Amino acid sequence: MNMVSEASVMDKTAEISLSSVNSLNIPAQDVKISAKDVRVRYGSKEALFGINLDVPESKVTSLIGPSGCGKSTFLRCINRMNDTIDGCAVTGSIEMDGVNVLSKSVDTVLLRAKIGMVFQKPNPFPKSIFDNVAYGARLHGLASNKDELEHIVINSLEKVGLIKEVKDRLMEPGTGLSGGQQQRLCIARAIAVDPELLLMDEPCSALDPIATAKIEELIDELRGSYTIVIVTHSMQQAARVSQNTAFFHLGNLVEYGETEQIFTSPIDERTKGYITGRFG
Amino acid sequence: MTELKQSMRIAQARLKKRRAAETRFKLFGIAALAFAFLCVATLFTNIIGNGYTGFLQTYVEIDITFDETMIDPSGKRKVNDLRMADYTALVKSSLRKEFPGVKGRKIKRELYGLVSSGATYQLRDMVLADPSLIGTSQKIWLMASDEVDMLIKDVFKRSEPESTRPVSNKEVAWIEKFESEGRIDKRFNTNFFQAGDSREPEQAGIRGALVGSALTMLVTLALSFPCGVMAAIYLEEFAPKNKFTYLVEVNINNLAAVPSIVFGLLGLAIFLNLFGMPRSAPVAGGVVLALMTLPTIIIASRAALKAVPPSIMEAAIGVGASKMQAVFHHQLPLAMPGILTGTIIGMAQALGETAPLLMIGMVAFIADVPGTPVDPATVLPVQVYLWADSPERAFVEKTSAAIMVLLAFLITMNALAVLLRKKLEKRW
Repeated sequence: MNMVSEASVMDKTAEISLSSVNSLNIPAQDVKISAKDVRVRYGSKEALFGINLDVPESKVTSLIGPSGCGKSTFLRCINRMNDTIDGCAVTGSIEMDGVNVLSKSVDTVLLRAKIGMVFQKPNPFPKSIFDNVAYGARLHGLASNKDELEHIVINSLEKVGLIKEVKDRLMEPGTGLSGGQQQRLCIARAIAVDPELLLMDEPCSALDPIATAKIEELIDELRGSYTIVIVTHSMQQAARVSQNTAFFHLGNLVEYGETEQIFTSPIDERTKGYITGRFG
Repeated sequence: MTELKQSMRIAQARLKKRRAAETRFKLFGIAALAFAFLCVATLFTNIIGNGYTGFLQTYVEIDITFDETMIDPSGKRKVNDLRMADYTALVKSSLRKEFPGVKGRKIKRELYGLVSSGATYQLRDMVLADPSLIGTSQKIWLMASDEVDMLIKDVFKRSEPESTRPVSNKEVAWIEKFESEGRIDKRFNTNFFQAGDSREPEQAGIRGALVGSALTMLVTLALSFPCGVMAAIYLEEFAPKNKFTYLVEVNINNLAAVPSIVFGLLGLAIFLNLFGMPRSAPVAGGVVLALMTLPTIIIASRAALKAVPPSIMEAAIGVGASKMQAVFHHQLPLAMPGILTGTIIGMAQALGETAPLLMIGMVAFIADVPGTPVDPATVLPVQVYLWADSPERAFVEKTSAAIMVLLAFLITMNALAVLLRKKLEKRW
């Protein structure tokens, strides 16, 4: 008898915590990515303790939290970038359109073609602007001739609003652009392979406010065609660009909900503490 | 307030010391540079001062009568007859005609010694090229012997007493007669760049060693560069980080410090005895030097690969490149300048290497210029060693001249690599 009651109590707490975490109700057909019990360890150090998170399609989802909370680690699980790190072990499942991307049978090359990534520091290849954008398309053989390739490049640069600035110097090195332009070039490079999902790892942390504003504007425009997951240190940025926000703390997903709700009436004390600036 | 001033005073006093230390350090640096420069300058003036005369050769103009009865008594002008004829006799009779008063075998031999034994081949080649010379009389510049050469270059002093001078008074008199008639001249020594080694200093040339070195370097480069770069890429990017790869790494670093003679012994035991590679051949030398160069290239290449920012690799992998594509499209091209620097250092080391080549027989006396990597050959540093070891005084200048050729070869090789590196760097 006693044991039963204990179990039911535990169930209840689990329910409560679950409801507090999953205060977002996304209709099943709109879920783009569904992470279940994702755990990551680097050697003996655990970095993520079972993350459950659903990312809705064609929306911007931001991941916030103090440094070292695991938000970037989670992001890098989605396109298996953690595979490249020695001693990094990922368990659990992340389903994208019903396929578990963490499964061994998934080809990472194709996966990363479907999931574009933009990094913290602008990292254009030390090649021409054209070659930067064309690289992915060439890799995956998306263009059968020169004209098609050119079309893809111009189109991508247009989408990121860079075409006007660089159309006369497509053959000049991408590293010669300003920081903000470089980051937009990197976004163009990512979307040139026509991904379904864009992962952004603090894309504005190395940029000045004006360049940041441009990138944020761009994220808002891209939202229609891509699902975007963005890691950010700036809560204002999360508030400005995202529809949903997830708060990570010490390797746990503390709270996940609509951005407005998270910033105006957070349920968890830790969330409240973080967004009011008491720690972080 | 006063306390602050006090601390400022202390800082001021210390500042003087700090500045003095800095000036001292700069002076030490300049002194070290000056010393190094002085050493190099001394070395170069010594080598060039000794060696520039090696590029000059004394010639004597002699009336040669191409006597048909001596060259081609049959009169059929068969190439074989012309080739086998006794041209030395032509030179001898011409010299006798020049100095009719010379009598006695010993003195005659001295007289014949004025002209190099290579003059025979010079005349033979002339006749073979133009048989119509037979029957005519020509004034021909013949290569003088090394003793005449040394006397003209003032290495053997005429002022010295005859007893300590390798050239006798009679010879000096003959030479002075030629000189007074303007029939002795120093000319650029084209033979030095066209001939292989010889026991006669005036006929010895650098061509054999130069070609041998070039062939050996080609074999070395062809083996060590691709192997070294591939090994570096594998170890740096693909190999699992475990005890075994750690052991491999430690051993590569150790190999770089192994004395080169050990590689020579290894080459002798494995390549010559076990695999039966040709002795004294550039192919065997090249393989041995490649083994010696590999660690240098691997270590330098790994450092260069490591220096490429990981963000570039991440970018490539993030777009969907496989690891190999990311390495070959981005990391390797960016690391290439550094890899080439390592290769230059390794190749320069290999070019100057003598010890391991002694073990595989490249120290042999080889008069022919090698045509392929399997022909017997010697290399420039070994040639320097061989000439430095020869007793004839005329080989001293040849040794220095060979050193100059070796340095020129080295500088050309390095300049090419630097140019290549500059070109690669510009692309990015």
